[in-house]
Amino acid sequence: MFEFAIAGISAPIFLLVLTGMTVGMVGGFIGVGGGYMVTPALIVFGFPGYMASGIDVMHIAGKSVVATIRHRQLGNIDWILGLTMVGGTMMGVEMGVRLLNYTKALGLSGIALLTGSVGIMIGLFLYTQIETHKAQKKINELTKAGKTVGRELSVSTLPLFFQSIALRPIVRCHTARIVISMWVIVIIGIATGVLAGFFGVGGGFIRVPALVYIAGATTHIAVGTDLLEIVVSGGYGALRQYMSGNVDMIAVWFMIIGAMFGAQFGSIATSFVRGPAIRYILSYSLVLATTGAFLRLFYMLTGQQYQFLNFFAIVFTLGEMIFLCLFIMTLVIFSVRHRHGKWVPGWIPSLVATP
Amino acid sequence: MNWFLNSMLAYWVVLLLFSLGAAAVIYFIWLKDSLI
Repeated sequence: MFEFAIAGISAPIFLLVLTGMTVGMVGGFIGVGGGYMVTPALIVFGFPGYMASGIDVMHIAGKSVVATIRHRQLGNIDWILGLTMVGGTMMGVEMGVRLLNYTKALGLSGIALLTGSVGIMIGLFLYTQIETHKAQKKINELTKAGKTVGRELSVSTLPLFFQSIALRPIVRCHTARIVISMWVIVIIGIATGVLAGFFGVGGGFIRVPALVYIAGATTHIAVGTDLLEIVVSGGYGALRQYMSGNVDMIAVWFMIIGAMFGAQFGSIATSFVRGPAIRYILSYSLVLATTGAFLRLFYMLTGQQYQFLNFFAIVFTLGEMIFLCLFIMTLVIFSVRHRHGKWVPGWIPSLVATP
Repeated sequence: MNWFLNSMLAYWVVLLLFSLGAAAVIYFIWLKDSLI
């Protein structure tokens, strides 16, 4: 146990490093900051809520720099797409915070937050699961027909609609290989920024699907470009939280020690898999986070009477991070085995990249 | 057995149970006495 003077609590260093490593791996792989996993975990470790949020944002800012550098080396960042979206994202975050304050003034913020977050997470989970399952089936069909399949395949037709919108100026995103109206990208940034500001998260779990299913970027480019966004939004958030006194830097350093390794591995792991694998992991993280949130909510709504609900909520919060990490490591191990012609489960070949 | 080995759903369930078990071990060793 380590005494965190600013937070005023003792917490096990090992768990902070492990949390940083696991969320770093997941974040580097699916392009999220991981705040919806880290903040509840820090509260479980004993940090006050405002401090958990501040430590989380500060560690996200640092971790996303590491992951973004690695994704840049892998060629997964479209700078035109990212920089076009940044302005819209920052504007959207400010609008989201004001919307939150407005619902708070009406006395509706708790209900609005819960209903909105559950609705969006379940909706995203269902759409991503259904689309990714169809994409996986198509990959299997094409492979059986003897055709070569690249590292990305999406069956969603939404991007064709949004790319056909001819509002000038039109931007050519060379790395993402999309030609799209600048206003579509800005509006994606504003919309995802509003959601991020309203729910108090980085927004990666909304922005990555938006870049894939609306802009039409490949999943790998969406992950790398979103991490670039998080460097900007997370950096600003970290500065504000630090100025408000909500950060215990020692706790942040322990988390970043773990995140430095986790984020590198997660980013590199994307080169072993196809786009649908990343989308599967993203959808799992959404449904598991929603389940953990429900358990926590039931515990609070029942007046904290039933300790087993609290126990399950804590176990789910920690177990979710371990599950996602192990799944990512599984995909990498099976990808290497598949490349060497060794046995892998039947569902693996459609999800892993061939050299 | 073949179905189990080749089923993504089965792997998902087993891995989730393993992860929740590991989380429960972490809870009992490090967190039980210091929780909110």
